[in-house]
Amino acid sequence: MKVAVIQFPGTNCERETAYALRKCRLPADIIRWNKNEGLEKYDGYVLPGGWSYEDRIRAGIIAARDPIMQVIKEQAALGKPVLGICNGCQMLVENGLVPGWKKEVQLGVAPNINQAMPGFYCRWVLVRVNSRKTAFTSQLRKMIIPMPIAHAEGRFVSKEKGLFERLGKQLVFQYCNRVGEIDETVNGSALGAAGICNPEGNVLAMMPHPERATFGFQLGRPGLLPASKIFVSMRKYIEGRG
Amino acid sequence: MRTENISKLSDKQLAAFLKKNSLSLTVQEARSIVKKLSRDPTMTELHIFNIQWSEHSSYKSSRPILKMLPTEASNVILGPKEDSGIVFLTEHRGERYGIVMSHESHNHPSQVVPFEGAATGIGGIMRDVLCMGADIIATADPLRFGNTFGENKNRTRYVANEVVNGIAGYGNPVGIPVLAGDLYFDDSFDDNCLVNVVCLGLVKEKDIIHSYAPENAVGYDVIVVGKATDNSGFGGASFASLTLDEQAKESNRGAVQVPDPFLKNMLLRATAQVFKEVRKDNIPVGFKDMGAGGIMCATSELGSAAGFGIELIIDDIHTAFEMDPWVTACSETQERFTWVVPPSFTSKLLRIYNEDFALPEIAEKAQAKVIGKITRNPDYRLWYKDELVCDAPIMEVTSGVTYRRKAKAPKRTFKESKLRDIDLDKAFLSMLSHPNICSRHHIYEHYDTSVIGRTVFPPGKADAGLLAPLPGSKVGVALSTDAVPRYGKIDPYWAGINAVAEAMRNVACIGAKPVAMTDCLNFGNPEKPQYFWEFVQAVKGISHAARKIGKPFSKEPIPFISGNVSFYNESSKGSSVAPSPVIACLGIMDDYKKAITPGLKKEGSGLILIGKRNNELGGSVFYHLHGELGKNVPKPVLKEERGKMEFVIEAIDKGLLLSCHDISDGGLACCLAEMAIMGGLGVDVSLPNGELASLLFSESPGYVIEVDSKKMMAVKRMLQERGLWHHNLGKTCRDDFMIKGLRNQPVANLKEAWQNSLKEAMS
Repeated sequence: MKVAVIQFPGTNCERETAYALRKCRLPADIIRWNKNEGLEKYDGYVLPGGWSYEDRIRAGIIAARDPIMQVIKEQAALGKPVLGICNGCQMLVENGLVPGWKKEVQLGVAPNINQAMPGFYCRWVLVRVNSRKTAFTSQLRKMIIPMPIAHAEGRFVSKEKGLFERLGKQLVFQYCNRVGEIDETVNGSALGAAGICNPEGNVLAMMPHPERATFGFQLGRPGLLPASKIFVSMRKYIEGRG
Repeated sequence: MRTENISKLSDKQLAAFLKKNSLSLTVQEARSIVKKLSRDPTMTELHIFNIQWSEHSSYKSSRPILKMLPTEASNVILGPKEDSGIVFLTEHRGERYGIVMSHESHNHPSQVVPFEGAATGIGGIMRDVLCMGADIIATADPLRFGNTFGENKNRTRYVANEVVNGIAGYGNPVGIPVLAGDLYFDDSFDDNCLVNVVCLGLVKEKDIIHSYAPENAVGYDVIVVGKATDNSGFGGASFASLTLDEQAKESNRGAVQVPDPFLKNMLLRATAQVFKEVRKDNIPVGFKDMGAGGIMCATSELGSAAGFGIELIIDDIHTAFEMDPWVTACSETQERFTWVVPPSFTSKLLRIYNEDFALPEIAEKAQAKVIGKITRNPDYRLWYKDELVCDAPIMEVTSGVTYRRKAKAPKRTFKESKLRDIDLDKAFLSMLSHPNICSRHHIYEHYDTSVIGRTVFPPGKADAGLLAPLPGSKVGVALSTDAVPRYGKIDPYWAGINAVAEAMRNVACIGAKPVAMTDCLNFGNPEKPQYFWEFVQAVKGISHAARKIGKPFSKEPIPFISGNVSFYNESSKGSSVAPSPVIACLGIMDDYKKAITPGLKKEGSGLILIGKRNNELGGSVFYHLHGELGKNVPKPVLKEERGKMEFVIEAIDKGLLLSCHDISDGGLACCLAEMAIMGGLGVDVSLPNGELASLLFSESPGYVIEVDSKKMMAVKRMLQERGLWHHNLGKTCRDDFMIKGLRNQPVANLKEAWQNSLKEAMS
């Protein structure tokens, strides 16, 4: 069992993402964008954070059209898990894998709207878990989990009216306060959307960084943090597929 | 060889010739080139010496003074000799690890073009750390801006915001977290901001790569890696060695480099791959950052430091467009490095950069390319269009010049303020919202502080930042930067002492042991005796404090392992910025889980003040608020500083303290307020006897500790045994902030004053 962490030009979270995966007993290789032979042999894929292709034109859009992404699309269609974090989230939205209803792009990730803090914004936030029926959330025991965000463009948007309301359980993560009430002020994302999956639940696009919320020391606590269960869930899902 | 016939020129003609060719060499210096070469120089040679003899490259004024600083201690792996210093961190799984540390300034570029200036400052220091063979793990940003409510407020706010954007715009994409920093506003920075930067790296001791050619390197290839050389930053080093003349600003814009964090990100990753190959096969190499003086400076130092010569073909350097040979050789184009490697390794190295990481595909003309060889003859020779354009003894190129500058104490007197008869409650709230005290989250939330996933305390969480640098190990690395500008205005000697003492206190407050320092000394024009005196005084103070406080729990001084001097920081009217000896202190903890924060933890626990409050309001925020400067700056007793510091570190290690905060800007009152705000709890305290304003707001060094009632006995015993002055302040409580002498009020009020004031000051 092994997953591939894809490194595009400008990706900058590949090492800690691979490290967190391995510590959750999910072996991981870092694979460069221009070296994709044998990629289909991996059991899952993670698109980590960064500034792929310098975020030219729009965050994630060039990587979304990189030849390596075709392989990942094909493997996702076979049911393998694909997790996009931050810039990886932007890629999955830009190539239509999320929300994955039609074979086209229906979502975008736009610049944050936050009166107090325009532009790039990095801080710990709370995220509400809405569904455990995905490849990445089955092992999450907590309803509300802490994770850092670090992005300038993290606001989920869509031209289609009512799209967010129709997401239902596909709206896996929402920003919230301590008692679980939705918080739309973090980056202006509709319904506080922080993570969205495809209907099958094997492709998840999320803006917060679970790899920075895996180990207790990252938040001054003992043991592992709740977000580590995202990687543990991914492992269990792969084990379950046999 | 086409030489410039300068020996025939009169002094006046020579001065005109130098000016016409934008050379900032003095007439005397130009004449000494003729002597050193025993002939007239070429234009390329003139430009080379122009850069190498600039203050920025040669430290010609500061070098004799810097010898005062202690640089040696048993934990120093590499002192201030190469691009960065290295200090021992820990032994882990049989390997010895070191922390690489470097400290730089990018003041003038940041004043002229703030975004690019600040960004390239970060870019430059990352290269300094990387080229030691290290993994870059953190940066810190000491910043000084003008008065954002003063005459020059629009420009000052623009500069401040763009500098912050530049730091974020570079560091975030490269993916290096900001761990620490400090920030002050003062009128003296209106025309000349200070943008310093500290960078940390991690390296195994056996994997250190040096900035000189290896042994027996004759015939080795010299390889340039990175961005295509253009004319950006040509003359940057000499630019940094002049004052900022308002009128010359336009022409100076070309001297600022253009940042490319995207390419840097790729270069770091490709270079890490080269490091792997080098280590795997034990390849002898030299590796150096290209900063001031560009290819010329990097290659000549790689050669001369190992006693070799260098021969380069300028036509082989990949450039963005056709340029004069001296521009290609000396421009400070960003995102470049130089390797010296055996020819047998060259093809592998080129493949990693050019094919595996595909530099030419991702950035126009970027690549790795062989441009010359190491030679046995110790000469620095450059060829251009089949003609020699430089042929100088390599030692002459790199040895620089030294000046003995005059230092003279200026005649000025400071008066202690009589300011006392004022509303202290009102003053207290205004201090909490003062730009030099209030919360810094408005700035650091723009920075990526959690990338790499090793941050334990990001900026704002505690007195120092804390990292867990080594996966699988409990060792923690703490970092703090400090220097109070207004102490510098009154007394640069004590400003130096206070900067060292405060940086160390901040590290101790979280429970880490200070182990090494770096400095960035920001001063005015060294050719003016009063400003050079300020510089000398500050270095004396720093050196004294570093020896007398010393490295805690050892008999050694705390060593300076790297540093930087930035002169010519002046206003358009010719007055210097507040003398600013900025100190960065590195601390180490055996177990980062033991680290504590200043936020109050528990209702009903005891609060103890350590360190007497003296009449030391000189340079304080209390005076600043009322338009006064004063005279009595804090004068820490260094032996006591050491005692207090060792106590705090030991008490935290034993798990005796719930929280700890250093008393500095704003004095005891602001210290307690910050502890209350960050912890969301109140305090009920009474002060020792004395005059109220000094008790509340004097910035005499000290600590406030929060102790669980069950551990009070043990803590008091420790304090008594060590003969440390302390005072029982009182207890923590639910929501109210109660100090006898001040009006009681909810902590929420204080938070409101403290939380969002920086945004108002900057936007």
